[in-house]
Amino acid sequence: MSRFIIVLASILVLSGCVSLNSVSLTQVPHERNNLINAAAHDWLFLGFTSQNDFVDEAINSLKNQCKGGKLTGILTKHQTTAYVLVFKREVIASGYCHKA
Amino acid sequence: MQKIVSIGVLLLLAGCARLDHVQISDIDQSQGTLSPISVKVSEFGVELAVVADVTSRLASNQNTQKYVKELRDILALINMGPRTGNPVYNDNYAENVLEQLYVQCPTGKLTGLRSIREAKSYGPVSGEIVRLDAYCIL
Repeated sequence: MSRFIIVLASILVLSGCVSLNSVSLTQVPHERNNLINAAAHDWLFLGFTSQNDFVDEAINSLKNQCKGGKLTGILTKHQTTAYVLVFKREVIASGYCHKA
Repeated sequence: MQKIVSIGVLLLLAGCARLDHVQISDIDQSQGTLSPISVKVSEFGVELAVVADVTSRLASNQNTQKYVKELRDILALINMGPRTGNPVYNDNYAENVLEQLYVQCPTGKLTGLRSIREAKSYGPVSGEIVRLDAYCIL
């Protein structure tokens, strides 16, 4: 029984394969002191979903961390991790916040 | 007939969102109040090889089945290669998105642009979507 659990756990862990869907970077500022990060994700079973709203969470998080400032040098990654029958979609963003 | 209804129901229920590309641009919150705006354009996409495959399964005549399967193989070969989503018949559908954004922003000052390439799939057909979200600085 324990052998079965170990094999199953190994399959589940090893099956997490990441594919990078897109990467983008905007103009990087001269002053790079205040790096902020944001990420948002959702889980899909068998790849079925009816919306892509989780992207907005990353934007809102970036905005909230740099209120009244200017956010530049934004690196955006969109990636998907495949587990057994389950997929994790992620948007990971980072940028430099400059407040006058 | 029951077969067609079942396939139709399956296709409708399979309406699935796909996300291909996300790009976030600089966000400037120091110039004024931000008002969210959005533009979405969509084009009909179709995977003809899958349509031919379904047709061949539905055909009762064996000769027709054979002919449609050959057609399916030819279509699959024609559309082989790297691509994003289903093929569309109009490659200009996303050209005026910037003008449409400016229409929604009277001050003309945009920030926080997000370029999103996504789709709604219904089996072999799909809506191939380009969405631009942004903030208008008021």
